Amino acid sequence: MKDLIKSYGDTKAADGLSLTVKDGEYICILGPTGAGKTTCLRMICGLTKQDSGEITFDGKPMDKVPISERRTTMLSQVYSLFPPMTVYENVMFSPSIKDWPEEESKQLVKSMIKMVHMDQKVQQYPHELSGGQQQRTALARALASDSKVLLLDEPLRALDARLRLELRKELKSMAKEMGLTSIHVTHDQDEALEMADRIAIIRQGRIVQIGTPMEVFQNPATPFVANFVGRSNIFVGKVGTSDETGTEVILPDGTKVRSRHTDLSEGEDAVVAVKIGSTRIEHIPVPTEEVPDPLMPEGYFEAVIERILYEGATITVEMSSSAIELVTCKLPNRKFDDFSVGDRVMVSWAPDKATLFRIPECGIVEELRLD
Amino acid sequence: MATKIELDGISMKFGDFYAVRNISLKVEEGEYITILGPSGCGKTTLIKVIAGIWRPTEGRVLVDGQDVTDVPIEDRDTGYVFQNIALFPNMDLMENVGYSPRVKDMPKDVTESVSTEYLELVKMLDRAGMFPGELSGGEQQKVAIARALASGSKMLMLDEPLSALDARVRVELRYDIRRLVKKLGITVLHVTHDQEEAMSVSDRIVLMRAGGIHESGSPLEMYREPKSIFAAYFIGETNLLECTVTDKSRTGKTTVRLRGGKSVKAARSELEEGDAAVISVRPERVYTATEGLKAKVLSVVFMGTYWRVRTVTETKDYVDYNISTDKVTPEIGSKVYLVFNKKATKVFKRPEKGLAEAIRLE
Repeated sequence: MKDLIKSYGDTKAADGLSLTVKDGEYICILGPTGAGKTTCLRMICGLTKQDSGEITFDGKPMDKVPISERRTTMLSQVYSLFPPMTVYENVMFSPSIKDWPEEESKQLVKSMIKMVHMDQKVQQYPHELSGGQQQRTALARALASDSKVLLLDEPLRALDARLRLELRKELKSMAKEMGLTSIHVTHDQDEALEMADRIAIIRQGRIVQIGTPMEVFQNPATPFVANFVGRSNIFVGKVGTSDETGTEVILPDGTKVRSRHTDLSEGEDAVVAVKIGSTRIEHIPVPTEEVPDPLMPEGYFEAVIERILYEGATITVEMSSSAIELVTCKLPNRKFDDFSVGDRVMVSWAPDKATLFRIPECGIVEELRLD
Repeated sequence: MATKIELDGISMKFGDFYAVRNISLKVEEGEYITILGPSGCGKTTLIKVIAGIWRPTEGRVLVDGQDVTDVPIEDRDTGYVFQNIALFPNMDLMENVGYSPRVKDMPKDVTESVSTEYLELVKMLDRAGMFPGELSGGEQQKVAIARALASGSKMLMLDEPLSALDARVRVELRYDIRRLVKKLGITVLHVTHDQEEAMSVSDRIVLMRAGGIHESGSPLEMYREPKSIFAAYFIGETNLLECTVTDKSRTGKTTVRLRGGKSVKAARSELEEGDAAVISVRPERVYTATEGLKAKVLSVVFMGTYWRVRTVTETKDYVDYNISTDKVTPEIGSKVYLVFNKKATKVFKRPEKGLAEAIRLE
């Protein structure tokens, strides 16, 4: 996809969108509702025509190639199975309208149904199936074609959370097994992290960053990405001095925090983002008679614990401080017994875990909007 | 604390089908309860009965000790927020939030000050003059919550309030909701199918399955000490391995034999030697060592704050474990030896109908 532009009235669903997907790759296009994700998929398969820009498959322009010859298949968030047809008939749909040889079609359809674990339900109708089963049938139908490119439009959105977790693994391994190039659109950052070979973050019709899940998580390109993929504590301040360990940033109340190196100059306004999972806290010891002057932990600022939420493998600790109204940190669950509400703690992080950005033109509040 | 809501033997029957059956539950004043379960477990039916949208076919609903089973929703003092955002599209946010005081014929200045107060609480006051159509889904749902609270009700019913929103917005809003209702001391019943959401917001989780209460407890209890395989599986992630009890120590510590004969030490249990069992161990309680359960690495996935390693063991079990992101990850296909933190394992009786049936979601 190169420099794609598509407008609907005043809204630009694609605004200079460029993206290269490799053969056999599983790419997630991740972004909030209204970012242009679905439009992107529709342009790839030919359901929507871009105003300008070019789409090529294997180097060949797709401009004049009709939908039916692009060999793409779309699985949408609403499983549009044909209600009067059984599971078998639904999956047989594409082979039968394309007049493929009967024996081969039967074999293909059977193997697809088996792959999605629906072989016990071949004679059932869509209304007799659960959401997960309908979704798997729709996937088998999408796969029982000669498509090379699989387009997935929020394929798990309508399912229960627990079932979504199960299907993430299945869906990707099926696409990989069939050697398909897959483009999966989602608003769910956990889904993208777990499933994608590479993640393309989309916002307002543009790709703002593309990289492996780890690159996107650890080296976000913008404050938005820093907060959208995993939660971040965000601070606004002025760039201070730098040394070999990182750069100092001075917050409005005078608090000094540190981040990784930057090419911003001293005195510039800047945004610091640090993942809540990289934010550390340590108790501030209370002076006693025996130890009137206890050793203070190192850190950037003090905070008071307001809430501790036990969330399973991790706990979330919410704190207030004079430096920032609300600061959050995520710790392994074994730390649960170490902290209590009301505790005074010192907040810190390794400077290389914090990224520093120029203040975005639209302003920080607008930049961080999630939807 | 006083009991705010009491359910006494509630059943709801549609034709011959019990959507919920014989549910009794006490909710303390100021408590935040989530009703959690897979699709079709009866959770939505239950909250509709509690709110007074439906009358139960059997049993009683008591609020502050008063039987309200026959009191319709409009005469109850309950705030209700639906999954599908239902703001009045022709009213601005101020008018939407002021709806309840207005229909109660409060003076204009009272209505306005109530609207202002609740819009401020959900941090939407700067947009008071906007219309619902100009807001994002998450913002609309915040206004819907403000409107439900502006009735002055001390009870809030949240029926999958976050399901229609983007994942990232859901995460942010669940913390906002918890902070808000705790500040106001509101009693909340919150229906969800999302166990992560339930863990984040609740004082107590009521896990439902097939129309009944399957298990309940605080997030910590449900995660650390689940009493059933289904709860262990549904809340958080866990590895489940079929096995047989081969030994019990004097203090009750259990040793089990996995399929294929490998022996593993596990926590205390009530089971006896020879019993068919299932052990559950969370991925963060599985470690690698120089000896142990031999396994082959199938995949290594970056999950943000940790790597998730998926393996298949010599006993043909799939076992996942986590490693920190600053550690070196194993090669796919390589061999590792797994050990379990035995205190953190749970030993369950193996269900007669099999493990797959015990954790079936639909």
